[in-house]
Amino acid sequence: MKLLLVEDDAEAADYLKRALIEAGHAVDHAMAGRDGLLLAAGETYDVIIMDRMLPQVDGLAIVRTIRAAKVRTPVLLLTAVDGIDDRVEGLDAGADDYLVKPFAFVELLARLNALARRPPPQDVATALDVGDLRMDLLKRTVTRASVRIELQPREFQLLEYLMRHAGRVVTRTMLLENIWNFNFEPQTNIVETHMSRLRSKVDRGYPRELIHTVRGSGYIMHELP
Amino acid sequence: MFGSTSLRLAAIYTAGFAVAVALLGAVTVLTTRSALADQFDNRMLTEMNAIRADYIEGGYKGLILEIGERKGHPGELSFGVQSADGKPLEGTLSAIRAPTGWSTMRQLVDGEMHTLRILTEDLHGGYRLILGDDEARMRILEQSVQRAFGLALAGVILIGAIGGFALSRAMQQRMQAISGTAEAIIDGDLARRVPVSGGDDDLARLAQTINRMLDRIGGLMDSLRQVSSDIAHDLRTPLTRLRQRLELNLRQADDPDRKSEIEGALRDVDAILATFSALLRIAEVEAGARRAAFREVDLTDLVRTVVADFAPAAEDAGQSLGMSKTPPTWIQGDPHLVTQMVVNLVENALRHSPPGAWVQVGIERGGGLVTLTVRDNGPGIPLAERDKVFDRFYRLEQSRSSPGSGLGLALVAAVARLHRAEVHLVDARPGLEVRAAFPAA
Repeated sequence: MKLLLVEDDAEAADYLKRALIEAGHAVDHAMAGRDGLLLAAGETYDVIIMDRMLPQVDGLAIVRTIRAAKVRTPVLLLTAVDGIDDRVEGLDAGADDYLVKPFAFVELLARLNALARRPPPQDVATALDVGDLRMDLLKRTVTRASVRIELQPREFQLLEYLMRHAGRVVTRTMLLENIWNFNFEPQTNIVETHMSRLRSKVDRGYPRELIHTVRGSGYIMHELP
Repeated sequence: MFGSTSLRLAAIYTAGFAVAVALLGAVTVLTTRSALADQFDNRMLTEMNAIRADYIEGGYKGLILEIGERKGHPGELSFGVQSADGKPLEGTLSAIRAPTGWSTMRQLVDGEMHTLRILTEDLHGGYRLILGDDEARMRILEQSVQRAFGLALAGVILIGAIGGFALSRAMQQRMQAISGTAEAIIDGDLARRVPVSGGDDDLARLAQTINRMLDRIGGLMDSLRQVSSDIAHDLRTPLTRLRQRLELNLRQADDPDRKSEIEGALRDVDAILATFSALLRIAEVEAGARRAAFREVDLTDLVRTVVADFAPAAEDAGQSLGMSKTPPTWIQGDPHLVTQMVVNLVENALRHSPPGAWVQVGIERGGGLVTLTVRDNGPGIPLAERDKVFDRFYRLEQSRSSPGSGLGLALVAAVARLHRAEVHLVDARPGLEVRAAFPAA
């Protein structure tokens, strides 16, 4: 992927850049908001990583300017501000995702991947397929190898999210934010308990597992062994 | 009605003024009475002198003529002439027995008892002249004075009541503007100011003073926000670098022991951050600026979702989490914060109960309240510690070794305060029941 990183803290930017390059991405780095704006408008990127707190200018203002200039590149906001409304504010300004500093690098990577390969919005699917697992979004039913699987509402949402992100890592925090709508970290491992119930319904008794645990990151759905 | 200070003051003032008018009336009546008595006596003396003069000039005949002339005039006196030994000779009063000089006597006139003022004089030549004046005429004058003061008193009370009511209405409206502003600020609208009206009077100055105080508080709140935001930035920036360095080292490390050491350090960084975030969150909720974002929330639906989300985890821990059947219950609130509050209460109950325990969540309605109850059959909390568990970083002695930041219930208390909900801990024998009573929407 070709990424634009707008971050004023040189040291943090340096580490991030190194790690992203190690992960196989190409990174352009801008220290100031104005440079970031020029690069964002002039070049084509897969994802823009934008620090929210920049000297002189709010990252949100830059996001708004980018969107006003009809640049549709996905934007991931990085922020040191973790207020209750900050996430909603960031998304309202036109950012696509929001990550609070400091974060685990795998979390950033998972979110970049989720953003970069987002299906175009006009593609309104009525069914999702991963291997022999099929989710009918209209009838709200799930079948595997034509056998009906009964799911609780949360399990259905969880499976839909995994199938929509098939082939990409989905982290625990992404699930908490998008399925549970929690903007806080519960002490209980509710993601794990729901996931293990979902896996026992979807994968148990089938020769090939579809939901996989990625150690230290989260989960991924694919039909490869 | 007497909750209004200005109305009460107006009433007291009017009452005092009415008493003053009544006193003035009483003094006036008494003074008038004695002045009238003097005046009536003087008139009788003048009459007596005039008749005596005529008697000296015209003898007995002149006397009778003079008395006859006076008959039929308005306000006429009564007369009587007696011989020196008291035999009645002439006039309506000729039959009475009165001492020489002034006296008062009661007499039946036309079937009514009247009080007469009598002046008797022995004339030279063996006659006694008696003059009488009916005091009823004096009473009529006195009564008209009393009536005038009665009317004045009624007028004072009426004007006082109307004036007091109008005055207190005007005061009340200005007071309400002040208390309305204060209420709006309590609800989180810190930009509100008291409208300043009525020129430069004391209330206008009070409003200006309150506004200056609000400006000051607003300034302090802003700098507090700025400070927390600065701390957030200045603490998260080095923590971000620290985390990145640790991750880089983790990727480059080959030795499994070193790897697990670095992983431990990463967990510590995350724990510092979790505590820090929880503190900031509590401060943000306590700042109270979020009431503006309140909307109608179905507490039943919200709680049902939380219970469904946490029941599998409870089951895995050998516990059970359930909820009694409840119809929709509406409260005014911030759904995100109420969710976090319910989650914290449920987690708290599960964490402090042993395997095999149950946690039952319920919602009660009544008395204008919607009460959330979270009850467990765990070890409970000693009475002495019940108030402290809502303090920041307070942890029960028995749970010091178990994980948790000690901030969960502090956040519950902050969210409850924001929603004007009362939280109580009740001994459920066995176990603990937490009751959070929200005002119903």
